[in-house]
Amino acid sequence: MSEHEAASLVKTLRPFHVWALGVGIVLVGEYMGWNFTVAKGGILGSMLAMLVAGTMYVIIALCASELGSATKLAGGPYDWARLFVGPGAAASVGLAVYMEYIALEAADAIVVAFIAQSIFPELQVFPVTLLVIALLTFINYRGVVAALTLNFVLTMISFIAIIVVFFAIVFGGVNIHPEYLFQGALPNGMIGLFAALQFGPWFYLGIEGAAMCAEECKHPSRAVPLGQQAGMITLLIGAAMTLYLCAVLIPTDALGVSVYPLFEAAQNSGIFIFIAALGLGTFLTCVASANGCVCDSSRSWFALSRDNYVSGWFSEVHPRYNTPYRAVIFTMPVAIGFAFSGFLDQVITFSIVSGLLCYVLIPFSLIRFRNLFPHTTSKVRPFVGPLQPYIAYFAIAIAITILSTLFWGYKYNLIFAFVFYGVAYFYFSHKHKSSTAENNWAEMGWPLPKGSENVSMVQEAIHVGDE
Amino acid sequence: METNNPAMESKYHSKLNGDTALVIGMLALLVGAEGYIVYNILAATWEISSSFFYLYIIFFGLVVLIEGIGCLRVRESIKNHMFEFRYYD
Repeated sequence: MSEHEAASLVKTLRPFHVWALGVGIVLVGEYMGWNFTVAKGGILGSMLAMLVAGTMYVIIALCASELGSATKLAGGPYDWARLFVGPGAAASVGLAVYMEYIALEAADAIVVAFIAQSIFPELQVFPVTLLVIALLTFINYRGVVAALTLNFVLTMISFIAIIVVFFAIVFGGVNIHPEYLFQGALPNGMIGLFAALQFGPWFYLGIEGAAMCAEECKHPSRAVPLGQQAGMITLLIGAAMTLYLCAVLIPTDALGVSVYPLFEAAQNSGIFIFIAALGLGTFLTCVASANGCVCDSSRSWFALSRDNYVSGWFSEVHPRYNTPYRAVIFTMPVAIGFAFSGFLDQVITFSIVSGLLCYVLIPFSLIRFRNLFPHTTSKVRPFVGPLQPYIAYFAIAIAITILSTLFWGYKYNLIFAFVFYGVAYFYFSHKHKSSTAENNWAEMGWPLPKGSENVSMVQEAIHVGDE
Repeated sequence: METNNPAMESKYHSKLNGDTALVIGMLALLVGAEGYIVYNILAATWEISSSFFYLYIIFFGLVVLIEGIGCLRVRESIKNHMFEFRYYD
């Protein structure tokens, strides 16, 4: 990385921007998608999936907070894997993050177009999808502060809508059906509990991306941990409220296949203000998610380009707007390609598999980081996560368990993803054999990693022997 | 790390209290909302869930415990570095 490029990214973001990026991307999963857990495991399966996935994501968010506030780089999981694991893992996780967010952006844009069409039937889905993708690309091209401030407003409205409806239910403002909880508790037996886990990530998928704006934060060592943890708590609260209010307003068999479960729950309440609030929330959260995805996928591509994993042409920073504008613009054709591939469900599944791969490699990067840099100083590790590395191992175990559940129903997606990332791993490992030597720790203000003194002594001895 | 500027110290501690209040408020909402929902769903489905309810208690406990300790660490980190990195200027 050249200093000029790194210095060109504007450093203005605050904790609420980090919150807006993380929650903005994820909250859409609470407005739609999570309810497939109900189809697999009923209400009890869904609640277990919410808690198990929640435990994994709490740990992932803590790992991301520690790694993001330490490295302060735009690539997020890619940069952590590059610095602490190796080039093959870095390329795999960099591509996984890119695919995860760009696929989600495409899906969000299509849903926005469908919602717009349901309100204004004369609209066509194709041009509206193009318009949404182009508009969000333009906003991200113009500047990260404007993009994430917009995300903050959209996300806050969507989140408040959930809270208002939930408390209306708790305080008796809505007629509910508690009998739905028992009727649909466990329709597929104990195996359903396990099968429901595969859709548990929908409640929180993408929260780790909040740390990807670390390089553009004014004080990353405060903004990343505070914004990320606040975001994680927001999602945990939102997930629990969403599950409960949908479970007592929609019969379980209908909830399991609903396209917009929160909106449908509001319709079942029969109260106009709630229908309007959650209808608006559904629309805004899709826009916020697509917007955040443009931001994160472009940063991942920018970071890959900056280290020559892909063409260096994409690493240019805009002289006026201080954005990685070529990487931002490049998200547009790729997202359009995904959106109109005709395999949207496959694309979304690929996004989940890519995310789960990240959830194995992020805690692993943290374990390596702790091994390489065991001493805590304010320069190396300004935020020290708790209970590490034990909880990192636990998160890896949960991620692998959830990945294994995808074998039921998504066997070929799983195999394709393993082949894709396996090829990427070996190709980039071969191409960047010497990249560990390129890590300039001194430029980051860090000491040499543990054990590197011995390596340099051995290299010197070999060099002397050769002479 | 402390400074020799009382006005700055006062401002910093006030802002730190703001961050602390935010985190504690959200944690309280998390425990309250999630606890309410887990209790209500388990109570409504007790005939079925009584044989494996401990799974929910374990994972609910893990979520709250790890997130709670994590938030305390975030506060501690901000407190330790707020003057060094001039967080609130």
